Amino acid sequence: MKKVKFRFYLDHEKEEKWINEMAGSGWHLKKFTLGRFTFEKGEPGTCIYRNEFISGMSNDEKKDYFEFLKDSGITIVHELGGWVYMKKDAADGPFEIYTDTESKISYYKRMLNMFLFLFVLNAWLGFMNISVFGNHTKIEFLNSAIGIFNVAAALLIAVPTIKIIRRKRELNGKRQFFE
Amino acid sequence: MDDKSPLTEGVYYILLSLYEPRHGYGIMQFVSELSRGRVELGPGTIYGAIKTLVKRKWIVAVDEDGRKKEYVITDAGKQMVVSEMNRLYELHTNGLLITKGEDAL
Repeated sequence: MKKVKFRFYLDHEKEEKWINEMAGSGWHLKKFTLGRFTFEKGEPGTCIYRNEFISGMSNDEKKDYFEFLKDSGITIVHELGGWVYMKKDAADGPFEIYTDTESKISYYKRMLNMFLFLFVLNAWLGFMNISVFGNHTKIEFLNSAIGIFNVAAALLIAVPTIKIIRRKRELNGKRQFFE
Repeated sequence: MDDKSPLTEGVYYILLSLYEPRHGYGIMQFVSELSRGRVELGPGTIYGAIKTLVKRKWIVAVDEDGRKKEYVITDAGKQMVVSEMNRLYELHTNGLLITKGEDAL
């Protein structure tokens, strides 16, 4: 039995929490696209799901990393657009991808590099496209429409970016006393 | 992070586990057993640490036996373990000295 749900999360950690709640009630993630999640009915709570942002890895690196994950008893559920969902048997004990402050901070850094780049790119394209808009020709109207889309994208990217900056700052503060 | 910085718990245990050649999952299990379940290293943490340790030449990949890549500690890595042990020894002795008095030594 299959079930499709539409959800749009700007916070990947909240999305992951929801995916695990679904698994807890027997709905296991099979596929995802932007805002669309496909689940399949199964035993409740048998797996722990984690997502990871892997954009920026070369194909070879990704292959190597996925091999490594599989060797560690992890199953790749689905990968799309720089994001991957993976799962591990709950019977194997707790499952976190990053288990210390140091590696969590470098993961956040890696995410921020890409997010900030996308933010600046969209903000700049948005500005350029909208500022071209002047004397109502068809092409310029198209430019402004694309420009508005760019600005909206920039704003959408800004939300998770700010969240990740906050979380990273919190971890940095913690690191002054604890590992 | 310079070479005089304290090692993280994870890196210290990963280096220890590689006195014998091991692959990623082997490291994970060994560290968990060695610390009696206190230190459970996530795959992202181990993978990132392995890459950095290889770059620093503290560990090397051994000839691939089948599909799984195994690693082993180098002399430079062993030196790091020894200096970390000395640091931990200092911390531990000073702790005993202050909290239990000189008799403790």
